[in-house]
Amino acid sequence: MRVHKLFRKLRFGIFALFALVVLSIFLLSIRTVSSELETEYVSNSANIARNIADASVDILLNRNLATLQSLIDQFVEIESIRYIYIVSDTGEFLAHTFVPGIPEEILASDPSLTEPVERSLPGLGEFVEVGSPILSGVAGTVHVGMDTEALALKIQRAVGQQIYLLCIILVVGVLVSIWLVKSTAKPLEELLTYVVELARNGGEASDNGVLARKDEIGDMARLMRHAAGQGPPPPKWRARVRGPG
Amino acid sequence: MTECRVGRGEGAVGSRPVTRRSLIRSGLAALAAAPWARPLAAATGPARHSGRRAPPTQEGEIVLGVSAAFSGPSRGLGTELYRGSMAWFNHVNDNGGVNGRRIVLKLTDDGYQPDPCVANTIQLMQDESVFLLFGYVGTPTVTRVLPLLKRFREEQVYLFFPFTGAEPQREPPYGEFAFNLRASYRQETAGLVDNFVRIGRRRVAVFYQNDAYGRSGWAGVREALAAHGETIAGEATYMRGTQFEASMRAQVEILQAQSPDAVICIGAYAACAAFARDAADLGLHIPVANVSFVGSENLLALMREGRADPDSHTRFLVNSQVVPSYEDTSLPAVREYHELMERYDPLPPENVERITRGEAYERFPQSFVSLEGFLNAKLITEIIGRMGDEPDRSRLEEAVFAVRNYDIGVGERVSFGPDRRQGLDSVYYTVPEGDRFVPLADWEARFAIP
Repeated sequence: MRVHKLFRKLRFGIFALFALVVLSIFLLSIRTVSSELETEYVSNSANIARNIADASVDILLNRNLATLQSLIDQFVEIESIRYIYIVSDTGEFLAHTFVPGIPEEILASDPSLTEPVERSLPGLGEFVEVGSPILSGVAGTVHVGMDTEALALKIQRAVGQQIYLLCIILVVGVLVSIWLVKSTAKPLEELLTYVVELARNGGEASDNGVLARKDEIGDMARLMRHAAGQGPPPPKWRARVRGPG
Repeated sequence: MTECRVGRGEGAVGSRPVTRRSLIRSGLAALAAAPWARPLAAATGPARHSGRRAPPTQEGEIVLGVSAAFSGPSRGLGTELYRGSMAWFNHVNDNGGVNGRRIVLKLTDDGYQPDPCVANTIQLMQDESVFLLFGYVGTPTVTRVLPLLKRFREEQVYLFFPFTGAEPQREPPYGEFAFNLRASYRQETAGLVDNFVRIGRRRVAVFYQNDAYGRSGWAGVREALAAHGETIAGEATYMRGTQFEASMRAQVEILQAQSPDAVICIGAYAACAAFARDAADLGLHIPVANVSFVGSENLLALMREGRADPDSHTRFLVNSQVVPSYEDTSLPAVREYHELMERYDPLPPENVERITRGEAYERFPQSFVSLEGFLNAKLITEIIGRMGDEPDRSRLEEAVFAVRNYDIGVGERVSFGPDRRQGLDSVYYTVPEGDRFVPLADWEARFAIP
């Protein structure tokens, strides 16, 4: 006789609870990670744009455009920064990182804009662009474009790592709960076997080990045996079995 | 890293780490040998091969640190510049060295990439304690090295004669740490623009390498056009390291849309050859100019390779040069160059074959790049020689400034001073004729708008 069905609900409950926890953490992670990373990326890009703008002042005033290009080439090596361009106060492109040429959408945009904008550049991808004025804008503006696909990939990677960890916890948790249920169900089965034999044989039953147990299963077996008139009740139940009288 | 002990008939003979101790030992040996050393004047005269090798036991040496492109798509530039220098240094060392000291090149390969160049330079300055830096190749590499020279300014390690015409090593804040022999890109592009405008080709577009080098040339074109009241008609870029096999269709189409009268290319030979090829194939039949850095012989070799009618792709080319034609043997330095290149025929650095994965490098008997390397070597030898028996970095700048009206043998005299850190100003224009670039005699006749 099996008693596992007694624990099916319990196992389902444990699994459902774990799944709920994982799902909740997953959703929360996506929201938090994506929001944090996005904020951090925009903030980093704005800082990079500001750094370039600060470093460009002397270079621009010295008309040293080769050094300016060298400067932005170093920044564009940073992960997820896909393009940088510097426009003069008159709208002339003084340095940029585009190959094979400056995209039409950027040529047509307002070069003095410094607020974050979303750009879709054909053949290049989706970007978030931030700007920073050079010398309060009188010397030009630096623009930094971040690849949103790279950002999405980074978010996916970060969330994926969390999910991976949670899934491992879920599997381990379920396995542990199954083991616990099994370890509880086995003595119950032994008790049931003992009780059935007791009932079948009119109070006679061979000891399958349950009578030696010191836990509640052992107590119950001994109580059953006592009820069948075959032995004393367990000591700690003796008073309650005999009653107040 | 390869160390080149320069001697007759050998490009590189083995590698040996240079330690402080060995340098001190070399210095002491050179001091001891100085009274018997041949004077520099005898070593730097017209090529007179004595037929005897420098004594192999001679210890005194001057180590010049080199970081250049010996691998990658621009390896032809580093290799030819090195070969030209070696022709002269071999000659000098075979004739007793400079005041008894042999000139040794400590070679490192940066593949024309900035980061390796910076790492190489730190190694050359700090670990190898080279006397000076010499024969660097490229603007993106050199512009990244300049702040290093400033950082270690107390050590007074100067950069001599880099193979670039960019402005950063000619202007503050880094100009004081470098000396240039060649004319600048600004001068080259101004000359090209002036000539194009003069023959009615006012709409000038730029095709450039998207880095400091390309930007330097772009800025030169922009400035030159502004002087004529014009702006750049169109621009297209490519990534550094692009190979000849790459398609430049997109770049050609971008420029074609602007209907330019001429295109000035600021790039390396592989990409510029690819652009000129695709421009011709796509019907952009206008002059395509290149500046000296392109490496004319390498460019031409690529464009002619395997073509039944190579002239159809090269007839629109015009290249500016910063040294005279190597065919102009009326010039003493060119005659010397021919003689010494023929005598020594320097090999590429010994590890180049390994670097380029066994791909053989075909040497050019003569080239503009190796002639420039030759002139660089000749002038640095003169400068070191002026420092006497005990060359000292702290007196190097003084020795350079002492060069006044020096006849290097190309028809233009070289002068340096606190306000002049560039030796030559001449720009020459050449066009392909068969497998060579020859001086362009008449712009109007060759490139006038029909």
